[in-house]
Amino acid sequence: MAEAMSENWVLKEDEAIELLALLITSARIQMDEPAHYGPLRLLTATERLSSAILERASDKSRGFLQGNIERIPDMHMQMSDTEAYATGLDELCRQVAQCLLRHSPLTEDGS
Amino acid sequence: MSETVLENIRTRRVVREMTDQPVAQEQIEKILEAARWAPSGGNLRPNRYIVVEDPETRRLIRLVSPGMFQKAPVLILICTDGDVLTEHSLPPTDRALLIDIGTAAQTIMLATHALGLASGPVTSYSKEAVKVILNLPASYSPEMFICIGHKAETTRRGMTAWKRITWRDLTHWERFPDD
Repeated sequence: MAEAMSENWVLKEDEAIELLALLITSARIQMDEPAHYGPLRLLTATERLSSAILERASDKSRGFLQGNIERIPDMHMQMSDTEAYATGLDELCRQVAQCLLRHSPLTEDGS
Repeated sequence: MSETVLENIRTRRVVREMTDQPVAQEQIEKILEAARWAPSGGNLRPNRYIVVEDPETRRLIRLVSPGMFQKAPVLILICTDGDVLTEHSLPPTDRALLIDIGTAAQTIMLATHALGLASGPVTSYSKEAVKVILNLPASYSPEMFICIGHKAETTRRGMTAWKRITWRDLTHWERFPDD
């Protein structure tokens, strides 16, 4: 699978460490916070990773990444509407699946 | 209580998006002066306030604070000083300490609003990481950040309410009836 993906380097070491900091501290504070904050932290990490790699990402990913940056902050505000939140997450799952397909030899032209 | 104070309480909002416009030193000092007047259990005043304006320090704090969505020009960290607790034989689990943090936070946010500035509290951060980044004295426990700055113009909606409530929904008058 890894061979099928682009070998384009998109993340600098500093950016990767910053993302690690977010993930590690999120894991710790989640132990003291409501369960529904879990998706929130994962989405925050998604948004920050998308922002970090957007500039160097290929055209196959760019639209998906830009969408995350624009969509996720609004999704946070919908946490109290569980149905809308789940709908938003489902849409994000569809978008990431489409992005994976664009990077996969499963799709003939990779587009 | 004057209508001005009530209006200030009614119109304050938690702000998650701020500009990078700096906050005047005089305004920061007024906010801290207001915090000094916040009620404190037993008048012990265990709270200490750390003001962070340095951009690189603020950046590092944000990196270990998943709940800090603001890029605020000023952070005020409310700490509890354990030395004060020891001095008065108070356990660190004493509920009065939480109340002190709450009264200080609300006083800071209302004072900030009164000065035409925006604020937002943040408790979702790693205490241990913040201690390291700020090189806090061993007796200081970092309890809550208040982000302070100027509200950014945004088209984003605020946090949707879990449930629409009025004060009546939260209040019961007098003794509860027997079953």
